[in-house]
This record gives sequence, C-alpha cells and structure tokens, in this order.
Amino acid sequence: MTAKLVVEGLSHHYPDEYTGIDVHALDDISLEVEEGELVSVVGPSGCGKSTLLNILAGLLPYRVGTATVDGIRIEGPGPDRGVVFQEHAILPWRTVNKNIGHGLEIKRMPRDQIAKRVQEFVNLVGLAGFEDKYPHELSGGMKQRCAVARTLCADPVIMLMDEPFAAVDAQTRITLQEELNRIAMATKKTILFITHSVDEAAFLADRCFVFSARPGRLKAIVDINIPRGDRIWSDMNANADFLAARDEILKLVREEVSVATEE
Amino acid sequence: MSDTIAKEGAAGGILASLSIAIQTRIGRQKLRKIILGSIPFLVLFVLWQMNTAFEWLPAVFIPPLGDVLGAAITLQEDCVGIGGALAMDNTCLLTNHIFSSIGRVILAAVIGLPLGIGAGILAGMNRTVSRYLEPVGVFANSISGIAWIPLAIVWFGVGWMTTLFIMLNTIFWLMFFNAMLGVRGVAKVYEQSVLTMGGSRWDVIRHVYLPGAMPSIITGMRISLGFGWRALIAAEMIGGDSGLGFMIFVSAEEFKIEEVFLGVIIISLIYMATDRYLLAPLEKWTVERWGLIWKPT
Repeated sequence: MTAKLVVEGLSHHYPDEYTGIDVHALDDISLEVEEGELVSVVGPSGCGKSTLLNILAGLLPYRVGTATVDGIRIEGPGPDRGVVFQEHAILPWRTVNKNIGHGLEIKRMPRDQIAKRVQEFVNLVGLAGFEDKYPHELSGGMKQRCAVARTLCADPVIMLMDEPFAAVDAQTRITLQEELNRIAMATKKTILFITHSVDEAAFLADRCFVFSARPGRLKAIVDINIPRGDRIWSDMNANADFLAARDEILKLVREEVSVATEE
Repeated sequence: MSDTIAKEGAAGGILASLSIAIQTRIGRQKLRKIILGSIPFLVLFVLWQMNTAFEWLPAVFIPPLGDVLGAAITLQEDCVGIGGALAMDNTCLLTNHIFSSIGRVILAAVIGLPLGIGAGILAGMNRTVSRYLEPVGVFANSISGIAWIPLAIVWFGVGWMTTLFIMLNTIFWLMFFNAMLGVRGVAKVYEQSVLTMGGSRWDVIRHVYLPGAMPSIITGMRISLGFGWRALIAAEMIGGDSGLGFMIFVSAEEFKIEEVFLGVIIISLIYMATDRYLLAPLEKWTVERWGLIWKPT
C-alpha cells in the first residue's frame, strides 16, 4: 500500500476575524492516508478539523509543515483533491447532470464522454430520473448525493469530506452513511471524512484520527477492522468491533470536551 | 361553482363553460393578476371619460380621448404605409419620434448594460477594483442624470451624443452597483467548489458570479432602464432634436396638449412592454427556474 496523502509537522495560526486575537488551530499534525482507505477525523468543535480540511483543499495557505498528495506539495486548490462541503455547494443554476459533469467540463473533456461518465455516477448515487432537475427541486439528501457524485465524477486522487451529512435529518443521514460505505466499496476511492459524530466516524472509517481540543493535535489513531460488506446500521448494535471502536473514540473525545469546558 | 350557474338555464351554462375555458386557458392565478392590475388603469380611464362628459376641467388641460387618438392620426397622416414608417420618412412624424427614442434606448442599453455588469462583477470580486470605482460611482449617483444636461450640451451640442451620454451615465452606474452587490452576495462555497474542481478565475466568473448575481443583475436592468428612459425624455426635451421627449416639449410650447398626453402614454406603454416581454421572461428563464427568488402567490 502506498500513502496517497502525507501530512508532516503541520501547524497553523491565524488571527481571529473579529477580535484579531491569534488562534492556534493546528499543532504539529502528522498523518498518512493509504490508497483506497477511508479515514475519519473526529474531535471536539474548534479542534481545527475544518482548518485541516481547508489547508488540504488548498483554500487556506500554510507555512509550517508539509502536506503532499502523491508526493506533490499542496499549493492552492486542484482537481487532484475533490471536496464535498458541509453546506449544499452544488450550483443552484445547474441541473443535476450539469453539476455532476462540471469538473469534467472544466477539464475540457468532450461532451459525449462527459454525458457517458455522468450517467454512470447518476446511477451510482441513485439520482436516475432526476438528471434534469435543479437543486431547489431536490431534497437535502439528494443534494448531498449530487455533491458526492460531482466530486467522484471528476476522479480526484482523494476525496475530502467536511461534515457532509451534518445538515440533513437523522433518517436521511443513516441512509447516506450506508450509501457512502457502498460507494467506498465500489469505487475504492481514498477518502478523508471530517465529522463531529463519533457514531459516524466509527461506522465509516478504516481508521479514525481523534483530535485534541484547541490547539488541534493528533491525540490517537483508532483502527476499525470491520469489512465494508458488514457495515449495515441495523447490525451495528450486535457488532463487537464497532461497539469497541465507538466506545474508545467516545472516551477519547469526551476527555477533550471536558478539558475544553474546564478551561 | 359551475353547478349553481348551470341551474340558471342554458345561457348560464354557456357562460359558465366559457368562463372555465378562459380560466383553464390563461390560468386562474394569471387571470386574477391581469384583472387586479387593470383596476387602477380602469379607474383612471373612467375618471378621464367622466371629465370629458361633465367638463370638470376644460379640454386645454385634459383633452378627450378622441383628441389624443386623433393627434396620433394627424401626426401620421402624410406617412405612406408601414414601409414609410420603418424607413423613417420625414412625413412620419409620430413613428419617427418613437423609433428615435427606442433607438437611443437600445444603443445605450447595448453599450451600458454589458459594461456595467462587467465592471460590477470585477468590483464585486476584487477589492482593488472596487476601491477605484466605488467612490466615483457614489459621486456619479449623487448627481441627478438631468443635472449633466447643460454640461453635455456644451460638450456635445444638441443631438444624439448628448442624449446618449446622459443615458449611459445613468445606466452604467446603476448597473455597476447592482452587479457588484449581487456578486458580493453569492455564497463563498460556490466559488470554492469551482476552484477545488480545478476551475480558473474565468470559470468562477462564468459559472458562479454571473449566474449567482443574476437576481441583482435583473433588478439592475429594471432600475437602470427605467431611470434611463426618464433621463432620455428629459435629455430630449432640453438637449435633443427628435424623440418623444422632444415631441412632448415642443407640443407643450404650442399648447397641443393632446400630443403631450399621447407622448406620455406611448412612453409608458413602451416601458411596460420592455418589462413584460424582455425582463420578465429573462427573470423566469433564469432566477425563477433556479429557485433563487420566491414569488408571492
């Protein structure tokens, strides 16, 4: 196995937008994500999860430490890293089809090839029949399915997901988690998934990176060795591996939350 | 509802089915809108007719409808057919004024709107550009378009350059501000999503800023064309040698009050048609289809 994403000694400070006070968001983060692996990053709010994602996406410049994808240093945004944002970031003025094919359109791929590939991903995320709908005609869950398909369709080296299911209702979230598991199995895509939900992190990840409260440090790595095919929510309450991993992550996160509240 | 009417006999039945046919063809909501929107005009029209009948105010102040329509015919009486009107023959007095005004509006819109939108988008996405253009824009907007007319006459003389300058000055800045505010209101995440797909600045402008600012851009078109028309009429009155504003001004000096009424009515009709057949469809095909604005039902 080869590491697709390598982060070494990454630290980040920034002045708070309103108060101007220096915020120490990330402290000496080092981690690796292997090819085809789904890792989750979990931690209390304000632990720098989103800062990490923005740096990896190339939306936030960094100076201390290095971050590389396939050995190439991250300098600004690029199509090698696809991002699924927390809010509905699919464009309201593009139909489902046009949104999913957007990355390929930017790459100047011929139109007939785009159409073929888009259809494949429409089917993968279960949006068949909604190809010509505009986002405002879709439910919240469908919008996020479209966002996932848009990112995958452009075929990035790694898919970065920033709490993508935080804004949908509980029932839809469970379905979307199971679907992402199925998609990860089918596409073998390398995925970094940021969440504040311990259950979500334990259910989806091969490995879970637990972050400490601010400044965000990599506190622990929890391995979760459940075959992808066994990851179904209705079976999870009887799955010893899942319960053990969840409890361990929960314990680690709880310690941090209590530290943060005592301060 | 149709049942109760049908009981009243065959004639009622026909009326009911006719009413239903009209409603299904045009649409109930739309019909309601048309009827409600027409009421103020009907009230004005009835008052106007009553004035003619009871002579509250003499015809020198408010001419009868017949005189206004008659003025249109008189102005056009030497004009030979539609061909003559379209060729803007000297004999076609009324249509020449109409075409002259519309031509100026089109010219000013074709130049002013794209420039205003382009500059507005640049200023909306780039702080440096907005720092250059915003103060001068505020300066330009503080002065009524008409205030420039004397200066424009000194610079360009009486004629189309003066009217064009006055209109451009109005259209460009209003469009600029609306497009700029529109771009600033576009959620950052859309721009980020295009950038993370490897999109260039140009991709962001085409795929994010332009469509995202569309609600403001259409509002800007409405406002700038409306104010542009007003500025044009004023400019034609003082600094023009043709056009509806010029016609109104000259007619008023000659006490041809029916021609003044005719000019005012035609201006309103042209602007209403522009809004209805150009701006409203554009709105429907863009921002309404994309779910960016909500229409009260």
